[in-house]
Amino acid sequence: MRGFVAFVKKEFTEQLRTGKLFMLAAVFALFGIMNPAVAKLTPWMMEQFAESLAQTGISITEYEITAFDSWLQFFKNIPMALIIFVLAECGIFTKEYASRTLVLCLTKGLTRRRVMLAKTFVLSILWSVLYFACFGITYAYSAYFWDNSVVCSLGFAVLGWWLLGMLCVALVPFFSALFDANTGVAAGVGGVIVASYLLGLIPRLAEYTPAFLMKSAPLMYGQADSGEYTYAVIVTAILIVASVAAALPLFNKKQL
Amino acid sequence: MLKINGLYKRFGDKEVLCGLDMHVPANSVFGFIGRNGAGKTTTMKAVLGLIKTDAGEIFVDGERVRYGETQTNRKIGYLPDVPEFYSFMTAREYLRLCADITGMDKNEVASRTEELLTLVGLDTEKHRIGGYSRGMKQRLGIAQALFARPRLLICDEPTSALDPVGRKEILDILSAAASQTTVLFSTHILSDVERICTDIAFLDGGKNALCGKLADIKAKYRADEYVIETENAEGANALLAAFPTLVADGCALSLKDADGMLFDVLRFVSERGIPVIRVERSEPSLEALFVEAVEK
Repeated sequence: MRGFVAFVKKEFTEQLRTGKLFMLAAVFALFGIMNPAVAKLTPWMMEQFAESLAQTGISITEYEITAFDSWLQFFKNIPMALIIFVLAECGIFTKEYASRTLVLCLTKGLTRRRVMLAKTFVLSILWSVLYFACFGITYAYSAYFWDNSVVCSLGFAVLGWWLLGMLCVALVPFFSALFDANTGVAAGVGGVIVASYLLGLIPRLAEYTPAFLMKSAPLMYGQADSGEYTYAVIVTAILIVASVAAALPLFNKKQL
Repeated sequence: MLKINGLYKRFGDKEVLCGLDMHVPANSVFGFIGRNGAGKTTTMKAVLGLIKTDAGEIFVDGERVRYGETQTNRKIGYLPDVPEFYSFMTAREYLRLCADITGMDKNEVASRTEELLTLVGLDTEKHRIGGYSRGMKQRLGIAQALFARPRLLICDEPTSALDPVGRKEILDILSAAASQTTVLFSTHILSDVERICTDIAFLDGGKNALCGKLADIKAKYRADEYVIETENAEGANALLAAFPTLVADGCALSLKDADGMLFDVLRFVSERGIPVIRVERSEPSLEALFVEAVEK
């Protein structure tokens, strides 16, 4: 356990001292602020464009901004934040393969299992903290300007995207055990999400795919019930556990 | 301390190890010698469980090494040829990480850190490892390898990338470390081996070409050959005239003492009062032994 804790501490120190944590915190905070800011500025922007739009025959009528607009922005921006997170962190294993820094830790008796679990744990914590910080910022501003209670099933919609992020986190060790370069890891994680999205286009399969969790708008408008997402949640949770479980033996046999 | 039986390893169509057998006795400084690409690093990585071998067994202190598992590594300290550390840490932070990984008693960590940093001359260094020179990294490499008081210290060509001063420093540190642990170090620099090793093995063609105590091997290959060097050419010429079988190299004359000729030569020198700089028994050089073992 002491080796695991020490390696977790090392990972957090690395995130902090290499500036990666600061960069990601800035990105997620920016997205958190941007969501209500864009919603708040929408009427002003519409006003600025009204004249030129009027010349093309489009007339702008008065539009009332609510917390919905802020949360729609949140769910539009979170995929970009997740992509940035995956791109920033997909080298968490492969960088150590290339620099051979892991060899000295392993030759001291630190088990590969602990290395893998420590890195996965750190990624999970980072994603969760950054994601919920982004959510918290948007929630606080939206509550200040409008009324969050008009949005239905907000908590469940937010948890859906968090779970999808956790799947990406779990796929990083799996593809890191298969590939030596971070491009392979990023492509693998992206490939799984794209494959899930494509499978979701088949109506009979849609509700069983992790990509189904991306559909937050019907939840927010009260057009869908959280119960409809049960299969997607179960499949995603199984995929998370399976990814980590499969990564363990693969990483154990990886030549370093 | 370390036993290797019938080790085989192939990379593609190249067979790097073809049935290597080796025994490293406890408390020895073992020189593992071979040309570049002979399989020294492959052997060491196999001992550390870092690569999968095709056949054979490895035992560290009686415990079998298994690929992908690191239990036996608790008894081993390892210094790679180019050690790489987390550049964002200081030397003290890195040794602290080593202590936590190896499960060292918390009360001992600070004193052991200072002891080793002093041994390798990094005790006053406060900067992060990212700014270290290659020699400094090599010294930190030795400190981390010795940190948990390993039974076996494995060093992969620890001096090959260093300048003469750095090499001397590393060899001095390894000599000092030898009082606490068994040292196995690979190299192709034979003078380093002669300087600190008690035992050697020559690796050639994926096998052990010659193995044993350095003193025994030298004794076995030692010919009864002596060198007498006179102070001037006159003395050398007088000796050559009296003993035509002597072989001259300037004022240095070598002779094979097959029939006790040495005493006749020494008597001649004494009677004529020929000034002599040195009389010594020739030792077989490691280079000569290596070439002979490889060419067999």
